[in-house]
Order: sequence, then C-alpha cells, then structure tokens
Amino acid sequence: MNKNKATDTNLSRRRFLARSTVAAVGAGALGSALLSPAAWAAKAIGDQASATLLRMARDIYPHDTLEDKYYAQVMTPLAEQAEKDDDLKALLKDGVAALDAQANRLFGKAYLEVTAEADRVTVLKALEDTPFFQKIRGDLMMGIYNNEELWPRFGYGGSSWEKGGYRYRGYEKNDWIKGA
Amino acid sequence: MKTAFDLNDDSLVVIVGSGAGGGTLSHELAKKGIRCVVLEAGKRFERKDIENDEWKMFSKITWLDKRITAGPTALTQTSPNLPTWLVKGVGGATIHWAGVALRFQEHEFKMRSLNGEIAGANVLDWPISYADLAPYYEKAEAKLGVTGTKASGQPYHEPSSHFKVIAEGSRRVGAHCRPAPLAINTTPRDGRPACQVTGFCMQGCRFGAKWSTMESSIPKAEATGNIEVRPDSMVLRIEHDDSGKVTGVLYVDKDGNQHFQKARLVAVAANSIESPRLLLNSASSLFPQGLANSSGQVGKNYMTHTGTGIYGEMPDTVSMYKSPVVPGLVSTWADNDPSRGHVGGYELEILHIGLPFMSAFLKPGGWGRELANSLANYDNMAGFWICGEDMAVESNSVTLHPTEKDQYGLPIPVVYKGNHANDTAMIKHSNEQATAILEAAGATKVNVMDRYPASHNMGTNRMSARPQDGVVNKWGQTHDINNLFISDGSQFTSSAAENPTLTIVALAIRQAEYIADQMQQQMI
Ligand SMILES: Cc1cc2nc3c(=O)[nH]c(=O)nc-3n(C[C@H](O)[C@H](O)[C@H](O)COP(=O)(O)OP(=O)(O)OC[C@H]3O[C@@H](n4cnc5c(N)ncnc54)[C@H](O)[C@@H]3O)c2cc1C
Ligand code: SF4
Repeated sequence: MNKNKATDTNLSRRRFLARSTVAAVGAGALGSALLSPAAWAAKAIGDQASATLLRMARDIYPHDTLEDKYYAQVMTPLAEQAEKDDDLKALLKDGVAALDAQANRLFGKAYLEVTAEADRVTVLKALEDTPFFQKIRGDLMMGIYNNEELWPRFGYGGSSWEKGGYRYRGYEKNDWIKGA
Repeated sequence: MKTAFDLNDDSLVVIVGSGAGGGTLSHELAKKGIRCVVLEAGKRFERKDIENDEWKMFSKITWLDKRITAGPTALTQTSPNLPTWLVKGVGGATIHWAGVALRFQEHEFKMRSLNGEIAGANVLDWPISYADLAPYYEKAEAKLGVTGTKASGQPYHEPSSHFKVIAEGSRRVGAHCRPAPLAINTTPRDGRPACQVTGFCMQGCRFGAKWSTMESSIPKAEATGNIEVRPDSMVLRIEHDDSGKVTGVLYVDKDGNQHFQKARLVAVAANSIESPRLLLNSASSLFPQGLANSSGQVGKNYMTHTGTGIYGEMPDTVSMYKSPVVPGLVSTWADNDPSRGHVGGYELEILHIGLPFMSAFLKPGGWGRELANSLANYDNMAGFWICGEDMAVESNSVTLHPTEKDQYGLPIPVVYKGNHANDTAMIKHSNEQATAILEAAGATKVNVMDRYPASHNMGTNRMSARPQDGVVNKWGQTHDINNLFISDGSQFTSSAAENPTLTIVALAIRQAEYIADQMQQQMI
C-alpha cells in the first residue's frame, strides 16, 4: 500500500470517528426516515420486515457513519437463504413479529415506529436470549467487524504479509505518547 | 527420502502429538539416533496455508472436536463447547503461540514449601528445582532462538507503538515494562528469517520467523531419517501386556482405518486435555481407573492461568496490530508477595488481537452503542493479556462424559474449571494494576474482558516426588508404568506466572536425555 493510500485511510478513519460522535446525538431523531425499505428488501419476508431487520441491525452495532449497505450486506444472504430454508424464514418472520409485539407492549407501536434508540434497545433487551436475536447478532458481528472492506474505516490493517509486514512501514511510529 | 516404519516394529518410541512437547522430544531423540513414530491427530500445514486472517486461521487449524466447558464461570455460556484454544495439526499449539519464552522463577518450583498449605487448593512442590532445569532452559533458549538471551545472542525486538504506550504508562505508575523474550528471530538465524512485524503471530507466522515445531523441530527431526510423522492419525488407546508394560497404541487414520503401532516406549504429548483423556480412555481390567492412574490424579489439577484481556482506549492512534503480538512485559508483580492478598505472581503481557477477535471477545455476546463505540476506537486501543499463577485445585479437571461420544467413538472430555479464592484475589489485583497503567497512559475507558477459551493448559498429569500425589516422576515417566511417559504441559506441578512453552521444551530436552540413557541401560 502506498503512502497516499495510508493517509487516506487515516483521514477517513478520523472522519469516521468524528462523525460517530456527532451522529450519535442525532440518530434517534432521524428514526426510520433514514431507512427507506428500498435500501434493502427481502422477498421472503416482505418490505416491512426487511426494514425492521435493518433497523434492528443498526441498533445492535450502531455505527452511524456506516452506510446502510454494510448492514444490508449481512442481511441479504440471510434473506436469500430464507427463500430456500423454511426454518430460517420462520425464524426471521416470527422474530420480527416478536419484536413488533414487544414494541407494541412497551410503547404501543411497531418497532420501526419507536423513535428513541434507548426505547428500541429496551425492546431488543427483552429478546436478547432468543435464537432469532442471537442469529442476527452473530451474523452481524462477523459481517461488520470481519468485513475486510470496512477494516480501514476502523483503522485495522488486515493482512499485511504480502506488503512485507510493518517492519519498514511504521510499526515504531508514535508521536503522541510522551517519554516514548 | 521419507522414513517409514513397520507397524510391528516394537523397538520404536511412539510419540502421541507433535506440539511443543512431542515435536521437541522427537527432534531430541532423533539427534541421539533413537527412532520414533510421531502420531498426530491433525493434518500437516505448510507455510502457504498461513494467512493473516483471524477467523480463517481459527477455522483452519483449531481443535474443534466437541468438548464440554463446565464450571461456575461465564465461559460455560459464552463458549460451551470450546473450553480451550488449541491446534489440531502437525506443530500443535506452537503454530499459533505468541512466542513468549520465559523461564519459571526459582521459587515457583516450591510453592507448597514457600506458602504452606492453602485451603481448597492442592498445591505441591515440583520434584525438581530451578537448578535442575536451568541448563535445559539454556538449551531451550538456544534451540528456539529466544531474543535477549545469552544462549541465542539475538537482540530484543525494537519497541513498537504499542510497546511505547504501555512502557510510558508503566513508568508513570512506577512499574517497569521490558521487551519480551520471544522465540521470534530478530536476525536471520537457524534457517529462519527475521520477523517482518506482520502482527499475526497467533495465526501462525507466514515468514517462519517464529519458532514452532511445525517450522523447525519436526522438519529437522525428519531430516535425520530417524523419525516418521504420521499426520491425520488419532490415537484411540494405549495397550499394555499382562505385566502392565505398554506395548503400543491403537490409532485411526484419515480414511477411518484402525492400526496398531507397536512400541518399546510410548510418550504422550497430546496436551493437557487430550493426554489425560487418552490415559482415561485406555482403562483396562488391569488398570480400571485408566493408565498410570493409581494416584487418581490423572485429569486433576487442571490449570489455565488466571488470564484475561484488558484494553484501554487511548486519546490517539496506537495501531497496536503493527507489532509482534507480545512486544513487552510488565513483570513488576511476578513475585510471590502474599501482602498483596494473594500468593503467586502475574505477568502483564502487552498483547494485541485484531478487530475481528476484539469484536468477539471484548464483551462476548455483547451488543449496543457502548460496545460499538469501543470497537470504533479499535485503532486507539492498547492493552494486556494477563498471565497469572493459577492454583492447582483437584476439582478442576478433565473427565470423560458418561454418554456422549465424538466422531472417533470416544467419550468427549468435560473440562471443569473454577477459580480458587487466590485466583480471584489475583485477578482483582492484576486488573487494578493494568487499569492504572492504561489510565496513566491516557486511557479514557478501560475494558476488562471475560476470560476466553484457555490458551494455556497445564497440570492434568502432574509431576510429584511421591506416587500418591501425582502421575509422573521428575523425568515425566509415569509412576506406574516405566515405559510410559508424559511429555507435554500436563506434567506441570504448578502453573507459575510465566507462559508454559519454554518450560515444556526444557522438560522435553531433559526427558530425551533420560530416555536415551534408560534405553541404553536396557531399563526400558
Ligand atoms: C493463541 C495462543 C497463544 C499462545 N502464546 C504462547 C506464548 O506466547 N508463550 C507460551 O509459552 N505459550 C503460549 N501458548 C501456549 C502454547 O501454545 C502451549 O502451551 C503449548 O503449545 C502446549 O504444548 P503441548 O505439547 O502441551 O501441546 P500442543 O502444542 O497442544 O500439542 C498437542 C498435539 O497433540 C495432538 N493430539 C491431541 N490428541 C491426540 C491424539 N489422541 N492422537 C494424536 N495426536 C493428538 C494435537 O493435535 C496437537 O497437535 C499460546 C497458546 C495459544 C492458543
Ligand atoms: S510479527 Fe513477526 S513473528 Fe509474528 S507472525 Fe509476523 S513475522 Fe512472524
């Protein structure tokens, strides 16, 4: 990787971090408007359920500056598989239904309509031990944090041996810790 | 030319497992002209199989046969079938060890005499002293090329950013951070290149800069012509004759065919879970409790180190992944000072993991904004893995499941591990000191991890002076059967504050001398 690229990465990471804090404040207010079902819709479970899943995905690992597509990328293979796999389809559909039922019980509306993140988290907490939640969380963990495409956004370098490691690429660099 | 021995050749030494213990033993015996067959359950990996990718390597090399995590800890929930993090492959866990190569301290061989009896623990002195092992530590350091030792002549690694942050934090609290002695070349040595700082030591070294039996000892042993390594060969049981002497082992190859390999001597080095499991699975009418188990101690006293991970979020970039995995150690509390509220010591070992593992281990099963924010701070993280002496407790153990069997038809192991009160006190103390260092370096948030699957596994066939207290004598020879040896980390009488591998290697070098001598004297 050349130097420019490395700087780019660094810059985008700084921006990512800076924007995370700003966006964290506004996220709740934006609510579901941010998530047009068109961003991601799964045939097997329908528009409404797709949008709900996407919202849920963003609530599980909220990185406000990450575009919807990264979350949708995790959900898409699941939904595709659900078209062929009735058990999975049921897991997703029933899971979304349970999510809405819980949201209705607590806040009198569907999950997608609950505007405050803290409230949606309360809904999720109630379902956190279900196979449905665990499945989505596990797939997301791999899909977000084990996603090579996103590693530069988190400031993680990924595979380095083909670039000769960091022996000549700044492993010793640190300009802020005093006394170093 | 590849050496091949006959199944009926009963003059051979059969070694079960090719990791730190077995791989080393095979090399040392081969150099003395002693012919061995190494049976290894896993397959053979090449350097080109090594990738800089945490999950890919995890699924490629990890021992994933079903085990049961038991005990009163959270690990039973977060990792119900993976109590340990070990490798199934030629090279064993040396493929993914971090290379930290420390000697035990003198007092750590006699914790029982030093601290007296500890209620609820089963602490015992080793039947050997530091002085007995010192010459073999020297040989082991030369063999592995441990940096910063006289034996290897290799300098330490230069400080990485991660090292600098921790070193400064340590200085600010009056602690001292030193470069870690690593079995990782800093200069081309012994046919292996210098470290290129890829930062993936725990996924295997793509360059071969890190010592492993896969990279070094096994190929060297094979080059003598005295060793045959059979990968994909899972040993099912050890057989014996009417006099109680072992005669060989039954194993299954990758096509599912069973073979009986005769032996003059069997050395078990299948790690601290599989070694006791194999002895227990080899129960017979003569040895109904399992082989070499007259003491009832086979599988008992399982130790893992009190270790946990702890990561601080710094005000600026650390890029900890641009470093050998363990660049340095804070050994300030590695001594035995009961005034801290616990006996035994601990090492704070600077250690990084990548973002993929961080997301899995920072808060196992966790989710939500707080966790996401911490992970967004990955590039600013610095931290430790804590390696503290774990007390031997008899109820911490490897036992056989009464009904459930694995793919080989063997009862699966149940791995029970709880914390002794001393472990709990030590964990508290070490977490506090580590937190203080991280905060002194500027951390705005410190994350203490739950324990993850154990990478250090010790003690389940321990050494003892008296046969009733343990499984093997001071040479690793079982008290009960003179041609049956234990050659891995399960021999450990205590766990000490240090990582185990250098001691496993030193013991194997020493054991090889003894075996050669006994064979020559026709004692075995
Ligand atoms: C991520 C990680 C980092 C580590 N870092 C360090 C470090 O920095 N320093 C340190 O000192 N230690 C470290 N360790 C620990 C070190 O790897 C182990 O202590 C050491 O490898 C154990 O050696 P062993 O001979 O007991 O067993 P292993 O190395 O586990 O070898 C046992 C072998 O036996 C084989 N086997 C098991 N059962 C059978 C059977 N029935 N038949 C045939 N073969 C069988 C296994 O497949 C395996 O290859 C680390 C471990 C991990 C997981
Ligand atoms: S950091 Fe060095 S020792 Fe570790 S894997 Fe990379 S080259 Fe090998």
